[in-house]
This record gives sequence, structure tokens and C-alpha cells, in this order.
Amino acid sequence: MKNMKIRTAIIIIVPVMIFGLSLIAGPRMINPFAADDISREILFSVRAPRSIVALLMGMALGASGAVLQGILKNPLADPYILGISSGASLAAVLGIMTGAAFLGSFTIPALAFSGALITGVMVGIMGWKRGGLWPERLLLAGVGLSFFFSALLMLIMSISSDEGLRKAMLWIFGDLSMSEWSKVPYGLAFVLPGILISLFRAKALNALILGDDFAHSLGFSPHRERFILFVAVGLLTAASVSLGGMIGFIGLLVPHIIRSIIGSDNRLLVPFSAIGGGGLLCIADLISRSVLAPTELPAGIVTAIIGSPYFLYLLRRKNVLSI
Amino acid sequence: MSSASEPNILDLSNVSYSYRKQAPLISGLSLSVGQGEFIGLLGANGSGKSTILKLGSGILRPHTGEVLLWSKPLQTYRNRDRAKLISYLPQTLDITVPFTVRELVGMGLYPYDIPPAMSIDSALEIVGLLDKAPAHLTDLSGGERRRTFIAMTLVQGAGLLMLDEPLANLDIKYQFEMLKLLKELKLNKNISIIMALHDINIALQFEKVLLIKEGRMLGCGAPEAILTKGMLRDAFDVSIDIKKQDSGEAYISYGSNF
Repeated sequence: MKNMKIRTAIIIIVPVMIFGLSLIAGPRMINPFAADDISREILFSVRAPRSIVALLMGMALGASGAVLQGILKNPLADPYILGISSGASLAAVLGIMTGAAFLGSFTIPALAFSGALITGVMVGIMGWKRGGLWPERLLLAGVGLSFFFSALLMLIMSISSDEGLRKAMLWIFGDLSMSEWSKVPYGLAFVLPGILISLFRAKALNALILGDDFAHSLGFSPHRERFILFVAVGLLTAASVSLGGMIGFIGLLVPHIIRSIIGSDNRLLVPFSAIGGGGLLCIADLISRSVLAPTELPAGIVTAIIGSPYFLYLLRRKNVLSI
Repeated sequence: MSSASEPNILDLSNVSYSYRKQAPLISGLSLSVGQGEFIGLLGANGSGKSTILKLGSGILRPHTGEVLLWSKPLQTYRNRDRAKLISYLPQTLDITVPFTVRELVGMGLYPYDIPPAMSIDSALEIVGLLDKAPAHLTDLSGGERRRTFIAMTLVQGAGLLMLDEPLANLDIKYQFEMLKLLKELKLNKNISIIMALHDINIALQFEKVLLIKEGRMLGCGAPEAILTKGMLRDAFDVSIDIKKQDSGEAYISYGSNF
């Protein structure tokens, strides 16, 4: 591929600039070198943790989307297709409705994470047959569970009070306003291992995409590799949903966009999808808290509105899919 | 040819296999591949050709019998060590993602920490695709795509190629190109090849043919000895004969089948 170094540099530099911008820009512009006390307070206690959480969440979504499209061999796969996010949302909304607060501000993330893990294990059990996970079974189990949990979620929301409904909707559409420093180590604890596992297994992922027998011939154990990658994706999805709800677009389309820039090798695709996803969510969050300030738009809506047209343009212009 | 002093690369001895609870697909089959041999595995649809290749490459484990690689049980090899000795190519590969030719051929390096002797470029040169290195697999013809996969096995450095129907769905020109390439690899690199096929005309071009029916070996040897009227009727359930032209070239006589 031509200009590979320039392409790589752009994918790294642009998100870093976005991250910096998300710290200083907003309804109130802050010059970090000449900030008064109030500005400094906003910068360090509000914006910095929020931008870092957005970055972590976007990284988790971008990386797990790339991995899932590989292990499920499906360009339509995204981190939400396995039902993990529906399980997380159901648990979180139950917590919001009942006003649970047994872990303080960590109550809802903890509930969401537990819901995600339980769902992940259920999908894994249903996707398991004859000593391994099978892509088609995983996909169908995920879609089936997802419908079931979504129905339960709708049921709860349809009989709940207006105030509870609003809070629940905000959470489901992706709410980063609750971000605080305490969420950062928690996010790092799951997002970093998830991305590192995916990176270390990127060769196996490349081989798995071409088929289990092919992967075997190259010295990989297909079922073992798929299981490891499934665990990594589960961790990343659970962490991202519990950090800030569901944010569409990133997990599905960022890997396709990155693929059109640097190619399909997962050793590059996974880390750059993470960086691209993080950058996109940072800028989407900046827009969502700035344009109608003090009202915030859900970041998930912004990612889709700015990302989809670019993706559709790519679909017409470039070799995004093999079909 | 194999002899007592030169061990076989691969031995299947008295191997049986069945898919789940069905009747055995392979029963009591023995075969061996010597160094530098180029063997055609011929049989009707469903005769068990693919299953034999999968048993030989360790994708499937036999229910009874034994598979030996360089005289050691296949399952005692670590996955990566086995990958340096055997390369298996399935009949079809899922190309859901647009890998480039260079990316795919580079996957041959995966079993290695230190890159082996053959570079990606020289492998591509051997299969005649060096100029296509940056192209996407999805933009190649069927024949070029198959050759890309052969280039990958060269980088992988395996001394034994097990190919499942590498000529299927190729135009006759590309079938010839592929056969020529494989013969050159056998001659120049001393690579042993065992490939499944179901075209009797192509089988006539091989030095050694294994004729398979319902998971059993009907015969093994030179085509003129194996592809006889009686054997072919047994294997394919049709009445055809092999005749020789004045030039000595063998061809199929279809008799009154049409």
C-alpha cells in the first residue's frame, strides 16, 4: 500500500489532536497555560476524566468490532451483536429504575458489567458444541438472546415512571456525563488486557478469517484461539457498556474505515481501530456537550451522524468489503 | 521413491474414521507418501478423499489406526512444529476480508519466530505473481488465487503439501498452469505433494495414483496399472476404458455412455 507511513501517522496524530482539543474546547474554552481556578477545576475534574473515559470506551468498541468481524467472519458484526450489551442494559436499567446505590456511583457500572458477563457466558455456552465455539452458533445465540433481553427491557420501560424512563433512555443512548476519575482505573483494568490479548492473537485471527482448516495448517488450534478472542471481546464490550452505555457506529464501522486506510492485517487493524474508535468518540462527545450546551446530546447519536456519511462515501469509492 | 533407508514423510496405517454416529467413512486405510512423491488421490464424490487429507494433516484424528509424520505419531508434534512440515490447503477458503496477496503469502511465516529461508518475494516470483503483490485477493482470478496460496505454503517451508482439489473450478489453461507449477516444485524443491482430484484425464498425468472408493483403497500405483476398465467401473460406477493413441498418450474412451 502506498504512503503507508503517512497513513499510519495520520491515524495516530489525528486522534491525539482530538483528545487534546476535547480537553480545551467546549462551551467554555480553556487555555491550559493560563487557566484560572474555575477553569482548572473544569479541566482536571470534569473534562480530563470524561475525555479519558470516552477514549477508553471508543478504543474498546473499535478493537472489539475488528476482532468480532474476524472471528464471526461477518462484516456486519459489531460488539453489540452478541447480546452482551442488551444484557448489560437490562441489568443497568433495572438498577436505575429501582434506585439501587449499594456501590455508590459504581452501582450502575457494576450492574451493567455483571449483566454483560452473565450474557457473555450464556452466549458462549450456547455457541459451544463438540469442543469449541462455532461462529454461526455464536452469532445466532447472540441475536436470540439480544431480542429476548431487549423485549424485557422494553417491558420494564413501558411500565416505568416518566422520570425513570428518561434516565434509562439517557443511559442506553450513551451517557458520558457521569465520568469521573474513579472510572479510569476501572476502565483501564478491562480495556487494556482486552486489547493486548487481541493484539497478541492477531496472527491467529488473520488465519481464522480464512477458515479453521487453514488456521490449523498454519499451526493454530482454531477453537482455542477463537475462545481466547471471544473472552477478549467479552471483556472489551462489557467494559465499554458499563462505562457509558451503548454507543452505536464505532464498533461496526470504524474497523471498515481503518481497513480501507491501512488494509486487513489484524496486527495493524486491531490497534488502529482502537485508536480510531477512541478519537471518534472523543470528538463526538465534544460535539455532543458543546452544540446545545448546557443540554447534552447522546454521544451515540453524534457518532452515527458524523460517521455514517463518511462510511457511505467510502463504500462507494473504495474496496471496503470483499463483496 | 521410498525405500528402507529413506523414511516416508507420512504414513497412515490401518486408519478408520466416521463422522459422529454415521457409518465409517474411512475404514482400515493405509497409505504412505515418500520424499519427493507426487500422488493423485482419485475417487468419486463422497469417496473420502477430503477426509483422508484431513486425517493426514491432523485436522481430524483417526478413531483407530495411526498417522505417522517422519515415523513419529502426528499428535506428538506441537502445532507450530507440524506446520513447518505439512501444509494443507482446503478446497475453498473464506475470503470475507480483502487481504492482499503479500499479506496472505506472509501468513506462511506465522509458525516461525525466525523467518525461514524463502522470502515472500521469491515465493511470489516462483508462482509468477510478484507484480500482483499489492493486489487484493478478491481482485484475482481463480487460478491466481490458488497460486497465491501455493506461494504461501512455500514461505511456510513445508516439505509435504496436501491439497484438496486444487484444480477444481479452474479453466483448463489454469489447471495446466497449476499442475506445471506443482511438478516444478516437486522437481526443484523436492516437495512431496498429495492432492485430491476427481478428473480421470488429469489422473493419467500422474506418476502415482491412489484410487479410493467408500473410504477404502482400491489400488495404488502407476495410472496404467490402476486405471483399468474394471477398477474404474468399481470406483465410479460407469463403464469407461483407458485407451492409448498411436503417440502413446492415454485417453478415456467413453464407449456407449453418451
